[in-house]
Amino acid sequence: MASTVATHGQHERYAGFKRHEVILLFVLIAAIALLAFRSEQFLTTGNLLNQGRLLVEVGLMALPMTFIIITGGIDLSVGSIMGLCAILLGVFWQKLGLPLEGAIALSILVGAFAGFVNGWFITRVGVPPLIMTLATLALYRGLAEGISQARSVRGYPEWFLQLGQGELFGVPTQLWLLLVFFVITAIVLTFTTFGRSLYAIGNNEVAARFSGIPVDRIKTSIYTMSGLMGGLAAWVFVSRVSTTRSDMGTGLELDVITAVVLGGTSIFGGTGTILGTALGVVLIQLLKNGLALSGVKGDGTIVVIGVILILSILVSDLLRRQRGAEH
Amino acid sequence: MAASLALTQQPSFSTKLRKLAISQEGILLIAIIVLFVAVGAYNQRFLSANNLSSIFLGNAYIAVAAIGMSMVIISGNIDVSVGSLIGVLATISGTLAVNGWPLWLAWTIPILVGMAISAVNGWLVAYMRVPSIVVTLGMLSILKGGLISITAGAWINNLPDGFHLAQLRPLGVPMAVWFMIVLTILAAAWMRYSAFGRSIYAVGGNAEAARLAGIDRKRTVFIVFVIHGFFAGIAAILFATQLSVIQSTVPPNLELTVITASVVGGVSILGGTGTVVGSTLAAILIAAIGSSLVFINVSPYWLRAVQGLLILLTVLADLARRSKRARHR
Amino acid sequence: MKKTLFTALSLSVLLGSASAMAQSRWDGADDLPVAPLACDGTAGAVEAKPYDGAQPTNAPDRAGKKLTLVDVPKLIGIGYFNATSKGMQDAAKELGNVEVTTDGPTKANIDEQITFIDNYITRGVDGILFAANDTVAIAPVLKKALESGIHAIGYDSNSTPDSREWFVNQAEFNGIAKAMVDNMAKEIGEDGSFAIVTSTFTTPNQARWIAEMSAYAEACHPNMKWLETVEAQEDNILSFNQASTLINKYGDELKGIFGMTSVATPASAEAVTQAGQCGKISVVGLSTPNSMRPYVKSDCVKSVVLWNPVDLGYAAVYAARAAADGKLKPGATELEAGKLGKLPVVNGSEILLGPPFVYDKSNIDNFDF
Repeated sequence: MASTVATHGQHERYAGFKRHEVILLFVLIAAIALLAFRSEQFLTTGNLLNQGRLLVEVGLMALPMTFIIITGGIDLSVGSIMGLCAILLGVFWQKLGLPLEGAIALSILVGAFAGFVNGWFITRVGVPPLIMTLATLALYRGLAEGISQARSVRGYPEWFLQLGQGELFGVPTQLWLLLVFFVITAIVLTFTTFGRSLYAIGNNEVAARFSGIPVDRIKTSIYTMSGLMGGLAAWVFVSRVSTTRSDMGTGLELDVITAVVLGGTSIFGGTGTILGTALGVVLIQLLKNGLALSGVKGDGTIVVIGVILILSILVSDLLRRQRGAEH
Repeated sequence: MAASLALTQQPSFSTKLRKLAISQEGILLIAIIVLFVAVGAYNQRFLSANNLSSIFLGNAYIAVAAIGMSMVIISGNIDVSVGSLIGVLATISGTLAVNGWPLWLAWTIPILVGMAISAVNGWLVAYMRVPSIVVTLGMLSILKGGLISITAGAWINNLPDGFHLAQLRPLGVPMAVWFMIVLTILAAAWMRYSAFGRSIYAVGGNAEAARLAGIDRKRTVFIVFVIHGFFAGIAAILFATQLSVIQSTVPPNLELTVITASVVGGVSILGGTGTVVGSTLAAILIAAIGSSLVFINVSPYWLRAVQGLLILLTVLADLARRSKRARHR
Repeated sequence: MKKTLFTALSLSVLLGSASAMAQSRWDGADDLPVAPLACDGTAGAVEAKPYDGAQPTNAPDRAGKKLTLVDVPKLIGIGYFNATSKGMQDAAKELGNVEVTTDGPTKANIDEQITFIDNYITRGVDGILFAANDTVAIAPVLKKALESGIHAIGYDSNSTPDSREWFVNQAEFNGIAKAMVDNMAKEIGEDGSFAIVTSTFTTPNQARWIAEMSAYAEACHPNMKWLETVEAQEDNILSFNQASTLINKYGDELKGIFGMTSVATPASAEAVTQAGQCGKISVVGLSTPNSMRPYVKSDCVKSVVLWNPVDLGYAAVYAARAAADGKLKPGATELEAGKLGKLPVVNGSEILLGPPFVYDKSNIDNFDF
């Protein structure tokens, strides 16, 4: 699998992913224009801000997922980590009697630890990421079920719900959180040694190791980050729906991965940008929303998203190859 | 160390046994035996013919689907749409049967449709170079959405007599189990001894070397997907004919169960290694674990946690075995 | 060595962080009290409760005007909600001035259901009919609907009362529980042992039914023995496997299996049939007639408990129409629901469809859903 990437040149790949984002932006604008034409409620500030509120959880988890996929890894356990953290937040607060602030912090820490466990096994024991996170997908969800005994925790105070249901400067509160992390991760990926190391690991892990990049430490840290974001997303989500359930976030990993891959991050590793991921997340959310508003039902919507996912990657690869042929 | 050296000088039955024991298939076999003995000692009914039959019968379709999945993974790809595919094919089979189509057509048309849909996946992966996870994620949505649009999850009942292939019991063994055993043996022999079977490993293990050896990588991947569609089709028939009613819907999380059986069976997700015997044994082990948890009264709340832990342990055992073997060299 | 140690340590920390709790009596996974009915079926004194629903704010006058309703069930693509949706279409056709569309998530997921409702609020409908995946989680978005002047009527699975106008209750939890347990006692005797196959422990309705069944069995059939409850998702074959495992585990001790969903019940009946235990192990459960037809016809299953989901959807549309017309106001005591006649208002703001219905061989062919 890795060898496919190795056959591309550095220059071509760089041009390739830039190209993909331009295509994606074009698709996004076309989609918005089309959907606005089909439904007059679609292109309104109220609706768009509201969609912003709804995409925050997937967005938060998609950021570290981009890092992970760039290194050629994957994290299937994010949805389960989110479920586990949501349950722990409630249990720490209600059953253990911690102050709510402490429960939030502790549950996010446990999320980070859950991610760290993934990373540790992947780097130190050598378990392939897909298998490791497949196992913890079941394990973390199982822990959430076991700890909660299928019970919900409800009755959060008003201030807690501000994050998920309130607004700050006219914009949904949690969207600010996502924006901050978006900017941070984009800067880290583009301008720091750490970011460049991720591409190097994804392109050729052995070479990266020989050139002195602390591969294991970097990989462990991004899986930890993924767990941390899972915990953060759990906080946002619990605050938005004002209850905790152990089945929260089930199947969310596929939504996150779909957004990242649609955003142009190659599943083989080595390419991808945070901007692309952001476009992917927004495109999927707006498509779901716009199609619903223009009268397409849920089952039709997932068909459309499936087709767009395949087509966007197909077209961008075809264009890339055409470019390659011109050279 | 000394003991193992002495053994290598004198190849004997015990060496062969040891070799078997340290392969992934061996580990799985031992795990299955230990599990059966331990749970059987706790509650003898676990080993009753009825329960053994349930364990095999109710999960044979997973093992069959895992055969094709293993080939896909060995070739360096993955298919996350297999659960939706099985749901769609089972619905097609049941719909044909209740509409009076001859039974042999109700059993074979879904297999052909499965091969055709999987061929589309394979074509996109092999010739259009779209990563398999992207293609099959997309296909998952398309199949699931399409099925719901058309059937709305209606129950298919009044299935004709004789439709229930999986319930037949030639020689006292459920038909589904015959399918599992025969297909596993055939596929294992084919993977091991035919030129094409070996080329799957070559493509997944080292695409460049495979190319130099004159293997057409694209064609191989394409054909692997078509074969995978065949196995998914058979799995769907077993799935559809096991109960007297069919709900035209997508079985939840089936793709994860099938992929888990393949990887626990020793199929490396990086491609190039693994056997279908391993994946079938893993499917049996996972089924037996599910059944045994009920027998040993594990609080059902913890069931999924235990399953996750067991997958992890199997994989760790595999890794420990490999690093040990590396040290012996 | 260090690795092994760390491996063992991290795993035990993970498991230890969740110290195994002893399995206490089933309480339906929430803190609501159970209310078992009297054993002989005499209705207890029902306290009249004042209206506790919520009304839409600044709703335009929709009396007699065409209504556009959207129905957001727990999930689409399963037989049960296909049937409720059919009932809604029937009612819409009868009324003539109502249009209903069913749309919802493809998996029973609180998050997606909220998104669907949100989209329909933006799109601007006159009313939302919903079956909640979670009582509390759905409340904020429903309140938003009410604030936008949109009618919100629940059916099948309730939300918190202050986030919707009315809830069409198919049958009260304790009524279902009584019907289930009484039927089981009739079939397996007062000292029989039984097990339960359910979807997941977090499914609110199923969890409530089991809690009520447990309380009712304790009070009215104290010698019946509850062996175990197993989870089987909404998965045909998994339900079949779980039911088979129960049969194999308990052998002759097991006399009856309760199926809690329209997936678990037929699969349990299939397991009993294939084990050759028809007549020895009884299956009593909640399910739709279409899924149970083969087993009822072969005499393997004597009775299936359910309300009519087609009627449930039908009543929900009538409730929405009446609410929009101003006929169903806070304090109303009954709802005029077309062919169903007058349905009583109970429990503050719930419209009761009626006692649960028991299907058997004699009447199962009258239903197609």
